[in-house]
Amino acid sequence: MGKDIREDIAWAQINKDVLKSLESPRRMYWIILFIAIAMIGVAVGSEIYQYQTGMGVSNKNNSHVWGLYIATFIFWIGMSHSGTLLSAILHLMHADWRKPIYRFAEAMTTFSLMTAGLFVLVHLGRLWMVYYVMPYPNERWVWPNFQSPLVWDMFAIATYLSSSVLFLYVGMIPDLAICRDNIRAGWRKKLYTVMSLGWEGTDRQWRNFRITYLTIACFLIPLAVSVHSIVASDFAMSNMPGWHVTSFPPYFVAGALYSGCAAIITLFIILRYVFKFEEYMTLPIMKKLVRLTFAIAMVWTYLNLIEFASVWYGHDQTAKDQLIFKATGPYAPFFWAMIFFGSILPLMLAFKRFQTHLPILFVVSILLNVGMWLERWMIIAPSFAHGHYPWTWDHDQWPSLVQWGIVFGSFGWFTLLFMVFCKVFPSVSMYEVKEMVYHRSLALKHKPAVKGEY
Amino acid sequence: MSITNLLENWSDFRQQHPSDDRPHREYKWAMSIDLDACTGCNACSVACYAENNLPVVGKEKFLHGHSHHWIRIERYWANDGREFADQGAQFLPMLCQHCESAPCETVCPVGATNHTADGLNSQVYNRCVGSRYCNANCPYKARYFNWYDYPTTDNVWPEPMNQQLNPDVTVRGKGVMEKCTFCVQRLTVAKSNARSEGRSVLDGEVQTACQQVCPTGAISFGNLVDPLAKVGKQWMTQQVDLNKDKQAKDVAEEAAKLRGYRILEELRTYPSVMYLEQLREGSI
Amino acid sequence: MIENSFNRRDFLKVLGWGGATVALSGCGNTSVEDGREFVTSYVQTADYIIPSIGTYFNSTCAQCDAGCGIMGRVREGRVLKLEGNPKSPTSVGKMCGLGQAGVQAHYNPDRIREPLLRNGDKGEAITWEKALALINEKIGGVKAENIAFLTGGVSGHVKVLLKNYLDALGSGHHYVYEAVAPSIMRAANKKAYGVEMPRLRLDKAKVILSFGADFLGAWVSPVHFSQQYARFRKADNGKRGVLVQVESKMTLTGANADRWLAIRPGTEGILALGLINALSTAGLSVSGDVVAVVKEYTTDRVSKDTGVSAEHIAKLAALLKERSPSLIIAGSAAEGYAHGSQNAAAIALLNQVLGNVGKTVEGSSGIPFPQMAPTTGNRQALQALNDNMAQDKVKVLFSYGSNPVFTAPASMKLKENLKKVPFKVAFAHYMDETAVEADLVLPLNSALEDWGTVMPEYVADGAQLSIRQPLMEKLHPGTLGMGDILLALLKQRRPNEYKGYEDFYSYLRNAMVSNKGALGGADADDNTFWDAALSHGMVKLAGSPVNISSHVSVNGLVVPAPFAEDSAYPLHLIPAVSASLRDGRNANEPWLQESPDPLTTIVWDSWVEMHPKTAAKLGIVEGDIVEVASKSGAIKAQVYVFTGIHPDVISVPLGYGHEAMGRYAKGVGVNAFKILDPIFDKETGELAMHETRVKVSKAGQRVIIVKDEGPAGGQQMGRKIAVRMSSDKVNLSKEV
Repeated sequence: MGKDIREDIAWAQINKDVLKSLESPRRMYWIILFIAIAMIGVAVGSEIYQYQTGMGVSNKNNSHVWGLYIATFIFWIGMSHSGTLLSAILHLMHADWRKPIYRFAEAMTTFSLMTAGLFVLVHLGRLWMVYYVMPYPNERWVWPNFQSPLVWDMFAIATYLSSSVLFLYVGMIPDLAICRDNIRAGWRKKLYTVMSLGWEGTDRQWRNFRITYLTIACFLIPLAVSVHSIVASDFAMSNMPGWHVTSFPPYFVAGALYSGCAAIITLFIILRYVFKFEEYMTLPIMKKLVRLTFAIAMVWTYLNLIEFASVWYGHDQTAKDQLIFKATGPYAPFFWAMIFFGSILPLMLAFKRFQTHLPILFVVSILLNVGMWLERWMIIAPSFAHGHYPWTWDHDQWPSLVQWGIVFGSFGWFTLLFMVFCKVFPSVSMYEVKEMVYHRSLALKHKPAVKGEY
Repeated sequence: MSITNLLENWSDFRQQHPSDDRPHREYKWAMSIDLDACTGCNACSVACYAENNLPVVGKEKFLHGHSHHWIRIERYWANDGREFADQGAQFLPMLCQHCESAPCETVCPVGATNHTADGLNSQVYNRCVGSRYCNANCPYKARYFNWYDYPTTDNVWPEPMNQQLNPDVTVRGKGVMEKCTFCVQRLTVAKSNARSEGRSVLDGEVQTACQQVCPTGAISFGNLVDPLAKVGKQWMTQQVDLNKDKQAKDVAEEAAKLRGYRILEELRTYPSVMYLEQLREGSI
Repeated sequence: MIENSFNRRDFLKVLGWGGATVALSGCGNTSVEDGREFVTSYVQTADYIIPSIGTYFNSTCAQCDAGCGIMGRVREGRVLKLEGNPKSPTSVGKMCGLGQAGVQAHYNPDRIREPLLRNGDKGEAITWEKALALINEKIGGVKAENIAFLTGGVSGHVKVLLKNYLDALGSGHHYVYEAVAPSIMRAANKKAYGVEMPRLRLDKAKVILSFGADFLGAWVSPVHFSQQYARFRKADNGKRGVLVQVESKMTLTGANADRWLAIRPGTEGILALGLINALSTAGLSVSGDVVAVVKEYTTDRVSKDTGVSAEHIAKLAALLKERSPSLIIAGSAAEGYAHGSQNAAAIALLNQVLGNVGKTVEGSSGIPFPQMAPTTGNRQALQALNDNMAQDKVKVLFSYGSNPVFTAPASMKLKENLKKVPFKVAFAHYMDETAVEADLVLPLNSALEDWGTVMPEYVADGAQLSIRQPLMEKLHPGTLGMGDILLALLKQRRPNEYKGYEDFYSYLRNAMVSNKGALGGADADDNTFWDAALSHGMVKLAGSPVNISSHVSVNGLVVPAPFAEDSAYPLHLIPAVSASLRDGRNANEPWLQESPDPLTTIVWDSWVEMHPKTAAKLGIVEGDIVEVASKSGAIKAQVYVFTGIHPDVISVPLGYGHEAMGRYAKGVGVNAFKILDPIFDKETGELAMHETRVKVSKAGQRVIIVKDEGPAGGQQMGRKIAVRMSSDKVNLSKEV
């Protein structure tokens, strides 16, 4: 296995390479940006239409009260978990190979949460009353219903989003100072000056920085796990057959890590190619990432099987009927596609030759996420189609173009945020890569007496 | 007005499962529907449209499942593979069951659906934000969402049809959930009349629209707390206990003589609507 | 409920204010309607009017011919909802969905609001004076025998005025036409029992055997029968009556039967005779001449002919013998054939043999005022009018209360014949198919804003005169009541006789008050009598009871053998009368269109009911559009497959397929009336509605049927939702 990173990269070179990514974009950037904005336009148009006309235009109905919005909401929440995994969990575990790639993963976390939050709004029948969900003091003693998992959701997502933003920002302060010092004038200079909070790299600053960063990382880990557990509670706490499953929280968390890792692979390849980050986003790192993804995929598959088995061997006939319906009814193609993309396809990742084959990985990672999106949809739609009450079953209701338009646009929104981020902030952590290079070179100089020790 | 209030009155903000320590004091509205008397004629459903300002959504929206019939007649067949439906159909009027432990109430993020002191499952239109979680969690799917803004939709209430709208009942705009209220506007008037005379509402003094119209009198409605109420006597005779999820009928063999049951009781929703089984003669 | 003692002036004052408010809010700044005497504000009003509290006024429903007593809730001058009048013996406080929709007939946006005169293809608004003058002018120009009046069933004072007007014209051509009416039953009853409409005591019967009578849905007086049915099912002594329904297409009543027997179409009479034979074999005393006729109807033969299994025939005979009294009802399904009268006679004979006449089939009450007694309609009348029109014998035609252009089969060519009539006047609520053809259209008041009296044909409890009174001020100033129009027309002809009456109201009040002795108000002064009558919504009449006896003769009672196979037109078409749409006159009321059909749960469209076997044979699945072709025409509709129909039969509901009328009716479904073959009952000459044979072929398209039922298709999937148990396991007398 090759090296995660060359030990002899000069620090100045690192600065130069990374700062190059902040230079004025090329034409292609603008084209993609424009496409992203156009996609958002589709979504905004759809939402305006839906807002004006009523939720009916999304083709949901009294049997299918939830649809793609909630499915895609879970999808984006899931995506957000990978950033935390890479930056917080792996940080605590001292897996230093994460260092060149955690920054954009962390950004991805923040942006997918920002996307997911929008779906909550889009889903509401009376968007203009959304503040009712918040516990604001009022004269009439009207509080939100603290028993409702949706209120927990609101708290969890708000907390997670603010913590993620903080984590991303705090981790970026030394890099922002580098940017400040390397840029002569203009709005960027002002921005970096303000945002770097007067960072000079003194010992005291570094010590405080380390403690802060570690604290937030520790705080974030239980938070990340709880957020998706709470999203899972939206379903597990209800009495809908197919949702009322105890294993839903870990299942959701595993699914979230899974889709997040797959998304990191996708973005890894894109950034590596676009910004020519071959020195930093190296194939050995990719290999580790792929192996991690494979492991999580297997955990997810296992939890999936647990869910099926507990339904199959339980004595809840209603839930069993619904499982059979998923596998054989009109949703069967999507169900089996989910199984294929989610459980069969990742088996490829077990083979070494694919672990560093970027074109294949690129395609596979996208397909894995298609599978994960299908998983979310398979939680929503077939359950509503075939619930407790046979009279109100509805197997014919499919999402309208309005729903698809908004889902489509959400990808544009995410792309827009991400692209802007890449051009404004360093998407590779310079100081941590320097650390990594330094540590590796130290390790090279002083071969450890005992294996596994630096 | 403070967080202290919230904490001190926490129990009021929590949904309570039915319990014997907090019985209904004056009113517990309940219904019983005799499926042997119900002929499936749909009069109740139309009466409900008239009383509760339900919108007529038209063919296309009906196709998409956007209908608003707070009480709907379901028609089941029990052919068992025979050539003809030779024992007729089974009609079942399904309306909000006003569950004592209502799954919809616990999940509403804003507390728009609540249990009243009278044992009604109420829906506060003004408070509803339209998350539709209540419907997702309703095993009976007896909740109906305003997918469109019907008051401004063509041919729902065109002039002068809007003059028929019942002023006692809100006309709901888009984005709110609605459902059967047990004709709460009638209950309120009856209670207010009774209170001004210093008494409780008498049995038969107030009728729901569906009960009033039903040509075979299949629907009884009244106050379970009132020992003289017909509905209470029916529940008693059928040995259906509001706060149990298993009734005498479900456990004892000789209980074959009982025909009262509640739908999907095993989900522990404790519905306020009791159904009486349909009967069929065995000798023909 | 507030007791209704009020006088008419106060009533109108208040309603006048209500109307004015409506006008003000509707149009911005119009003045208070002209011609109103007073406008009284709520500051100074009658004691019983409290803003925001509903007041109830009694009236009579006009949605079908049953004439149920209703009670309208009026608030701030608007009628909001109808309830049953608890004092009405017909409705006893109950109602049906059709009746509930009466408010939608009243507030309908498609009502005609002013008289319209044909100008080319368009209607031009004219004044009432001009319209009435035009009628006078046209009538003056033709001979009396060339004037024809086509109406639906009429009764009460409008009938009296109509009769007087026809007398004044010297024309005897009053055609009373009802598209869906139990005419053959009336004739058969007349023959068997001496009365057209005996009272049926469902509540006294222990067993009801109904040959296709949909008494819970659309037959004669469903609200009344439904209440009797409830007592039949759960008698005071706890005994539960047994209902057996024999028919080829399941009706709502059939869906409630303990046993629903699918019978080959037209063989109902054979089954009735077979049952008599089985009963006599089982030891029931049957007179010799009857035995002689029925003895060849052995169970095996009957079973073969009718398709009803021998087991069920035997069980049914045993049941009828064991539980007496029973009640045998012949419905439209048994009578809708060329041999419909024979079927009805055979069924009446079964009643007679079982000794039900006098017990569960009772005499109705005599009517002291024959001039107000209901004139019931039939299809022969339309046939006669059509023939006259074809021969150019009709120069002026008035049409009221029926829509023949919609309900006449295409084979009659009624629309073409109508064009031969130079001047056609339609009294109408909507621009329906007949009004569209008319030269002059006169808009009528709705039933909730009109005065009138009604005598229902089926009398629930003694004779009575039901009163129809306005529940609110007229919505549209340009409409008039039928009584008012007739009065105005009579003033043209007999000014001296009628000039004393300002309007129909004053005529009606005078007519009632001057007869108060016979109307049960002998001791009261005029105002008290009149107020009490309005308050009750009816007056009881002292009618002498009519005794009935059964004298069905077996002479000439021949029930033909079952239909032969017809390879060209292999299926029988049953035009189904649905409880909500009936003959289609209520099709523009959206509640009824959106109220699912009880059996199929279909809304907003027509459908073709088909047995799964037939469908499999034709390779048809649910939602396929098929062409249903008879010798007289073809229609296209979606197929609904279910097991409540005989495999030899398909069924299409009536009332759909309007080409005009209004936004809710137009273009919804297809009109099954159009393809009925001209085959008539041999004895009465009535159109045999069930006689049409059809062939069905796929038209290529497939649609998703718009219905309430989901993909589970009426299955409960093992969940305990609607539960059924055997009646012998329950003791109903212990129940509350």
